[in-house]
Amino acid sequence: MGDFKEVTAGNKPFKKAYVAIMLWFVGRAIQAAARVDKDVKKEFEKLPEDFTFCLGVLPKGPYMIVGKNEKGRVKYLGWKPGGKRIDLDMKIKGIEAAILMFTFQESTTVATARDRMIVDGEVPYACAIVRVLDIGEVYLLPKFIARLAVKRYPVWSFSRKYIGRVRIYFRSILGY
Amino acid sequence: MYLPEYYEFCCRVKIIAGHDALEKIPEALEQLHAGRPLIITDKGVSAAGLANIVTEAIKDGVTIGAITDDVPQDSSLKIVNQLAGMYRDNDCDSIIAVGGGSVMDTAKGVNIVVSENADDLMKFSGAGALKKALKPLVVIPTTSGTGSEVTLVAVVKDHERHLKMAFVSYFLLPNVAILDSRMTLTLPPVITAATAMDAMAHAVEAYTGLAKNPMSDANAIAAISLISDNLLKVIKNPSDREGRLALANGATLAGAAFSNSMVGVVHTLGHATGSVCGVPHGVCMSILLPYGLEYNMHKNAHFTGELLLPLAGVEVYAGTPKHLRAEGTVAYIRKMNRDIHDATDGGHARFFEEVRDRDGRRMVPREKLEDIARAALDDGSIFYNPEECDYEDFLMIIKAAWEGAPLDRELIKKG
Ligand SMILES: [Fe+2]
Repeated sequence: MGDFKEVTAGNKPFKKAYVAIMLWFVGRAIQAAARVDKDVKKEFEKLPEDFTFCLGVLPKGPYMIVGKNEKGRVKYLGWKPGGKRIDLDMKIKGIEAAILMFTFQESTTVATARDRMIVDGEVPYACAIVRVLDIGEVYLLPKFIARLAVKRYPVWSFSRKYIGRVRIYFRSILGY
Repeated sequence: MYLPEYYEFCCRVKIIAGHDALEKIPEALEQLHAGRPLIITDKGVSAAGLANIVTEAIKDGVTIGAITDDVPQDSSLKIVNQLAGMYRDNDCDSIIAVGGGSVMDTAKGVNIVVSENADDLMKFSGAGALKKALKPLVVIPTTSGTGSEVTLVAVVKDHERHLKMAFVSYFLLPNVAILDSRMTLTLPPVITAATAMDAMAHAVEAYTGLAKNPMSDANAIAAISLISDNLLKVIKNPSDREGRLALANGATLAGAAFSNSMVGVVHTLGHATGSVCGVPHGVCMSILLPYGLEYNMHKNAHFTGELLLPLAGVEVYAGTPKHLRAEGTVAYIRKMNRDIHDATDGGHARFFEEVRDRDGRRMVPREKLEDIARAALDDGSIFYNPEECDYEDFLMIIKAAWEGAPLDRELIKKG
């Protein structure tokens, strides 16, 4: 047979790159928030010792993986799920849906209602991680955007909202 | 009418409803190229004489391969495997399930084993594991509530490995659901009320929730209207065949609505109260439903208000100014609970403090409310609720529902 180029549906490099950067940032921000924010810390404390979760886009990524290491510290574990045991696997059904979510054209709430995600794993884990992601969004995004991303914009103290935000930004970028 | 930009809806179950619907089973099986069913039921159903009514109705039209009433309270892997063996030993070609949730879950589990020739059921758990149609499955609900006859999930417990396996697939939808008034005619009023209010909660939460769509809405409206018109009548006169059939239809319609549009905080807290205190699901639903609507009202008052029409009828609806309709809906559901309470001589609880077990002991002690709020944090049904709900929110709702006082809507965090 002749050699045919495999046609892959939805090969959209710019969109994929954008989502990959967002996922990278979300992953590092969760790692940072687990050190800085008491609620995020508490959520992770309740999860099992070597808990890992993956957030990604079907069919071929990008992904991001976050997990707890032996010492119970929350770490961003990179963008390749290959070989890792995943306790909670959250997949957005396609790159277009991911773009809608990560450009905040579609709130997380609406995305859920429209069944944009496939979640594999124990439901209590999913509940905890959704709460973590919501807190992360409030830290990372300006209020007028975060309002679209979460159901209810929380009332936080000045220090949590502003000092916490600065600390999380720095830690996300520097990665510690 | 609200139309989302995108939604999915699927309910491909053939419904046969009537006072003599059971007699149509042979014909329905024949259309599915089957004629030798395994009948699965439980001891309660067969003791109530319902399995007999079914076999009498179909015995001239089909050859019954085998019949069993061995399903326990909780579906279990052991029973599933045992019944799959029975199916094979008796050359059955289809399954008829007569009963409530655990009977249907068991029947769905058996169907996976016999259709896929599975030695390990676990391989087929999770979404997307089933790839092809299973053997014909006919379900006959014996309560009017859960809507399991039109849902695509099954839960089977593996007691040895301490696992709860959840199966989700459109292939788990039964082929046929039979709604026959004879199946619920002897259901005691208190259970009739609780199960019907569960169905009511399915319809109301589907209609007012985040995943609502016009298909679900149509089902929900019809369900609410049938249940509201008939529940009290049936409780006062349990042998009302028309009323019984109406409730059965209402429950199935509500099942079609919520299996596509999901439920919300009423179920979140209901599941938690059930698991912490063992309160029957329907009892939790009837108590919590008005509270869930109050809690979400600042987000969806317009949808809640629209429900006053199927609930209370056109005169009340037209006579209520638009901005008061949502509160009218809540008040109407509270009044339903009070009326049912009176009609059952207090058997139907209006708030959690009032819930008693068979020996008259209080089932929800006040000191358990914190545990309930904490357990609610682990329940996924909250994803589809319009408003966020944290520990304090859950606690506020469950406290009010325990005392029977309306929710103080001033205290609800609105963000
Ligand atoms: Fe329910």
